Amino acid sequence: MQSPQRPVASRASGSGESIPIEPGPGITGQDMTSQGIASQGITRRSILRNAAAGASAVVASDMTFLNQLRSAEVADELKKQEKRVILLWLAGGASQLETWDPKPGVKTGGPFRAIPTNVPGVRISELLPELATRMQHTAVIRSLNTKIADHGQGADLMECGRLNDPGLKYPDLGAVVARELGRLESRVPDYVSLYTATEGRRKGTSGFLGARYAPMFLSESMTPPNIVRQDSITEIAHQDRAALQNALSRRFANARRSQAVDSHTSAYQRVNGLMASAELFDIEKEPADVRARYGGTQFGEQCLIARRLVEAGVPFVKVARAWWDSHGQNFETHQELCADLDHSMSVLLDDLAERGLLQNTLVITLGEFGRTPQINASLGRDHFASAWSCSLSGHGVRGGSVWGKTDDLGQTVVEGEVGAADLFATILQALGIDHSHEYMLGARPVPLADFGAKPIREVLA
Amino acid sequence: MNQQDNVEPSPSQTPEAAVEPSGAVSMPTSVKIDKTFPLPAIGFCLAAGPSSSPLVYVGTSDFSVYAVDPTAEKVEARVLSENRHSSYVTGLVRHGDTLVSAGYDCAIIWWNAQTGEVLRRIENAHDKWIRRLAVSPDGTRIASVADDMRTKLWDFSSGECLAVWGDYALKTPHHFPSMLYAVTFSPDGTWLATGDRTGKVLVRESATGRIVATIESPGMYTWDPKARRHSIGGVRSLAFSSDSALLAVGGIGHVDNIDHLDGVSRIEIFRWQSGERQCLIEDNKYKGLVEAMRFAPGNQWLAAAGGNNDGFISVFSTVDGKMLAQEKAPMHVHDFEMHSPSAQAETEFSLIAVGYQQGVVVGIRNS
Amino acid sequence: MLASAYRLCFAAAVISTGLLSTSALLAEDGLPAEGLLPADSALPVVIDHYVDQQNQKGGIPVVGQATDYVLLRRMTLDLAGRIPTAAEQTWYATLCEGERTTLLVDRLMNLPDFNLHLRDVLDEMLLANRPFNNEFRTYLLWALEQNRPWHQMFRDMLTAADSEGPEKGAAEFLKTRARQLDDLTNDTAILFFGVNISCAKCHDHPLVADWKQDHFYGMQAFFSRTFPTKKNTLTEKHFGEVKFRTTGGAEKTAAMMFLTGAVVEDRTPSFTDEERKQLEEAVRKLEREDQPPEYTAPTFSPRLSLIDAALSDTEGMFLARNIVNRTWGRLTGTGLVDPGDQMHSANPASHPELLSWLARDLITHEYDLRRLVRGIVLSNTYARSSEWTSTEAPPAAQTFAVAKTRALTPRQLAASLTVAIQHPDRWPVVDPAAENTASEWAARRKQLDDQANGLVREFEQPFDGFQVAVDEALFFSNSERLQNELLKDSDDRILGYLKSIEDNTKAVNVLWKNILNRDPDADEIQMAQDWLGRSGNDHNHALQQLAWALLSGAEMRFNH
Repeated sequence: MQSPQRPVASRASGSGESIPIEPGPGITGQDMTSQGIASQGITRRSILRNAAAGASAVVASDMTFLNQLRSAEVADELKKQEKRVILLWLAGGASQLETWDPKPGVKTGGPFRAIPTNVPGVRISELLPELATRMQHTAVIRSLNTKIADHGQGADLMECGRLNDPGLKYPDLGAVVARELGRLESRVPDYVSLYTATEGRRKGTSGFLGARYAPMFLSESMTPPNIVRQDSITEIAHQDRAALQNALSRRFANARRSQAVDSHTSAYQRVNGLMASAELFDIEKEPADVRARYGGTQFGEQCLIARRLVEAGVPFVKVARAWWDSHGQNFETHQELCADLDHSMSVLLDDLAERGLLQNTLVITLGEFGRTPQINASLGRDHFASAWSCSLSGHGVRGGSVWGKTDDLGQTVVEGEVGAADLFATILQALGIDHSHEYMLGARPVPLADFGAKPIREVLA
Repeated sequence: MNQQDNVEPSPSQTPEAAVEPSGAVSMPTSVKIDKTFPLPAIGFCLAAGPSSSPLVYVGTSDFSVYAVDPTAEKVEARVLSENRHSSYVTGLVRHGDTLVSAGYDCAIIWWNAQTGEVLRRIENAHDKWIRRLAVSPDGTRIASVADDMRTKLWDFSSGECLAVWGDYALKTPHHFPSMLYAVTFSPDGTWLATGDRTGKVLVRESATGRIVATIESPGMYTWDPKARRHSIGGVRSLAFSSDSALLAVGGIGHVDNIDHLDGVSRIEIFRWQSGERQCLIEDNKYKGLVEAMRFAPGNQWLAAAGGNNDGFISVFSTVDGKMLAQEKAPMHVHDFEMHSPSAQAETEFSLIAVGYQQGVVVGIRNS
Repeated sequence: MLASAYRLCFAAAVISTGLLSTSALLAEDGLPAEGLLPADSALPVVIDHYVDQQNQKGGIPVVGQATDYVLLRRMTLDLAGRIPTAAEQTWYATLCEGERTTLLVDRLMNLPDFNLHLRDVLDEMLLANRPFNNEFRTYLLWALEQNRPWHQMFRDMLTAADSEGPEKGAAEFLKTRARQLDDLTNDTAILFFGVNISCAKCHDHPLVADWKQDHFYGMQAFFSRTFPTKKNTLTEKHFGEVKFRTTGGAEKTAAMMFLTGAVVEDRTPSFTDEERKQLEEAVRKLEREDQPPEYTAPTFSPRLSLIDAALSDTEGMFLARNIVNRTWGRLTGTGLVDPGDQMHSANPASHPELLSWLARDLITHEYDLRRLVRGIVLSNTYARSSEWTSTEAPPAAQTFAVAKTRALTPRQLAASLTVAIQHPDRWPVVDPAAENTASEWAARRKQLDDQANGLVREFEQPFDGFQVAVDEALFFSNSERLQNELLKDSDDRILGYLKSIEDNTKAVNVLWKNILNRDPDADEIQMAQDWLGRSGNDHNHALQQLAWALLSGAEMRFNH
């Protein structure tokens, strides 16, 4: 690993932080990357020294090199690293009217009542009775207007907080949090994504942050694929052959350093740590009463896995619950899925709170959009992104607060309109991450939350 | 299928119509929409007025009950009394001058059908959303089903709760809340059938609540374990034949895309006392849920209606399940009533259906 | 970094002509030839001329040529989509050094592998991130086997005829996008013209002066009448306009405008209201009914006029420049214009004359992709070493002064792993003269692909900024499939063969040849010997793990 004495950038000019485009730092030539590095006052020579410092330099991928820069420079890094996020992704788009923004008694309101919560004045749908007694943890945002009501693009937007630009793929929230809160020496994955239904399945993307921050993706089973050693090889032989591979690849890789080639080395270096985390996915390791508490649904079990993961230090876990796309039978669908969400999330909040984890874990419920107030001929609600809701619970959040307002029928936002970028800024601020911090992609500054994003201070603790 | 012991067969009924002197049965050959009329909201349930009156009553999504005369030149829905319920009205029955309605607000309300005056209301008649009501043919009792998975029997005149029956699991096998959608009395009032989301149908002796048959119709449970991890179907409608020998179970079959009710509309007809399934009807042309069914008096055919984004009214042979005639409805149909308008036309029936923001008058004929 | 004798000869030939003088003449065909090298120059010579000229001017250090064996591997990967077999390595060694490369290129381009691989490349390019589409792949292979010119393939794909002929599958390019007008518009512009105009949808492009809203909607106007019928064929409506709102708020009707600004005359006949109604009803029936009434296609097709507009574009040469740039990018790792969808004045080519010359050459040679590919791989530029051992920073990618180390595509990697684990003596002997070996090889290649197919999905398609995912490392480290398939030691496999070899040095040599296609160096032999020597009795296991270290290693993962 890198020595702590490495030269550190002076932060004279701006807050930019360079993300390498091919080739990575250390071998930067006349391409745009050099400007980003140079702007931080690092000489190319100093980086080259690091790059050429033998095997240890090969070990550190480009990204880890940058991480070291940050950890040296940011005083409260350690504190920050204790923070975690669990994103409950309501894939397909849950109805705001049947969750956080009920409108009982109006034409568009549907059959369900609004019920009081333990926060005076705050009412939510009767489909969330358990969460209604835990609103002291939760801030509700009822004024999202994200405009895009198409699954693919809507998910792009709500996963990344902005749409991709031509030639530039943005990282999603998980990748950004993994990068900002993950620890280099961590033996656990820093971004785990569970999506076991097939409809609308999306892996998530680390965009320009590269594969180092791509999610460990569980799609087929509750255990990550290939995380357990085959019986045909002993643990020692498994490690020995990895060392042999590294030794045999070293000369090749040293003479051809680039982000891609370096990533090969670093990917194999993470294997052992990740294998050690296999048991985090095994809920059989939990006492029977804890498992029973989470209930028998798969979503509940995955919430339990999420709790095990954040407890072990995984900074970002996404649990996707498909498929809320209730074009037909909206009310039946929400009776079923809200019950699952209500119970699983309530137990998760309780469990996190009892373990003292909720004070540093942010739980988000979000999907790609909400659903139309208009009820269609199939008793369904269609895609709707003009006036919908999400919730933030736990760390960094002013529990019991409600932000924004929609009109009586739920057609438009009438107070406190926010977009995807604002929501992302709010989430990052809740985690203590400066949302306006910029990555430098060559000469191009890319803020963590999109340009112009304004966090909703009112829902922040 | 689970046939209970020592069940006495119900007294056999005299077929009322449709059997021609030769013994050959005259079957309908056409279903035609004669008229459509607007409703101010989604019509979920329908109760016919007394035979002397052309009126029908409709329970709707605007929490109200309307009186409608479909024979009028310009059909208008007259609100009987506004907003007595505080949610969707999903069950409505009539006997004499009294209407009884129920809804997602868990209340059951007795009305004067002419004045709209509320005669009685029982709040929290169930712990969860009431799905349907049925009235016994003699008008003495009402049965209600709700998502608390209970069936309750009420005295029509006193409102007294006569019985509460459970026997359904609160949760589906996949740990989600179940729902109890359908209830119906047999034409002689002896039996009461109920059906839930997982396809479980119970037939009880209505006087005692004793379960006389359990019919499993798992094809109605559309749990999708892989793509979407939820279900959308269930037993949505039930109908006894006039001799009580047959029980039709309606719902939806395999769903490709449960966002859109994209599954065959499905009916299974059982000789429920022996447990034998007489036929399975799956219609791929008009898809969606079968929301209501009625047997023709001679039991040779059955009318069924429902839909997805669109709607349908279909007539099937009860012998072999063959489709005899059908028509696309301009709306998803939630309920209908059927009667023979005149004695001279024993093969001519009139059907009034209500659903998404409108109603239709439909002729079923054999010409 | 020793260049082979052959390479030296070839290089000397180029150098002896010096830097060719540029043609000051306008080309006869009217293409922008001013200042370009003569049209009849050899492609490799032209490539090296322009690249070397720029590097000399900029004082850019250039590495030497790659060794012959590196080139054998690189070319086989680029032209056949896999690493060379042991038999091919043996054949290659017998060739006279002076003509080795040409013979190799000619042989590879005549193997069925060439078209199979190019089929995969075009499929990945044109239907990226869309479901496996066998009809489209069948079409591509058919077209490549005919050496169908690229402009003809472009015509096939945009015509999207509902035919039963071999062109049928070409329609899939549009069909898979037919429900999204933006996809039709953007993907056609990106994939065939190298231009991403999506940023000009809501406003004139914020960064690129070339692209206005008129271009986006102009391009969209060519597609706006295209729709899929219920029977899943494509057809066009008789009328219909694209309207858009400018940032000023004015509503505008889009003219059918090509990227050069050339406007296609709208030859839509005028219809009465009654005719319009009937035509709309006919369209509705086509969209909804299984047996719609006969539909007469419109006399004027905007989509077909886009084909004509693109093929008559002698100014921008968008169609030719795009495929030249993408082919160049594929074979060298970096496009002359990079990224490949950003061909515009704010993002000029690194070697504008070279791009123009190659585009002109492609047009004058009937859009012959084989000629283009052959020209590039025979250049010295292509054949440079990928090693950079200096402590100085390496030159930028777009100088092409060092060969780029390129991650293999999933299909290249899967096929290469499959080749690497075979018994070295069980390959058909290479004899380019004998015809029967061709069909024998075709069958063998199919078998290889079948074997490799299951592995393909384990790997990620490389893209700009690609990194090897930890999922892949976990797959190699722990998957059952790897253990049971790639490390199998049955008789038909290299590990089965090695069981019979007593001599460790020989075994190590065989492994290196089979997997990395080169001899091990002294250090590597030592390391491998140590490894095998340490293993005690379980020699087979040790060999297996040594093979694993090579199969999963960095050198195998990349084309270098």
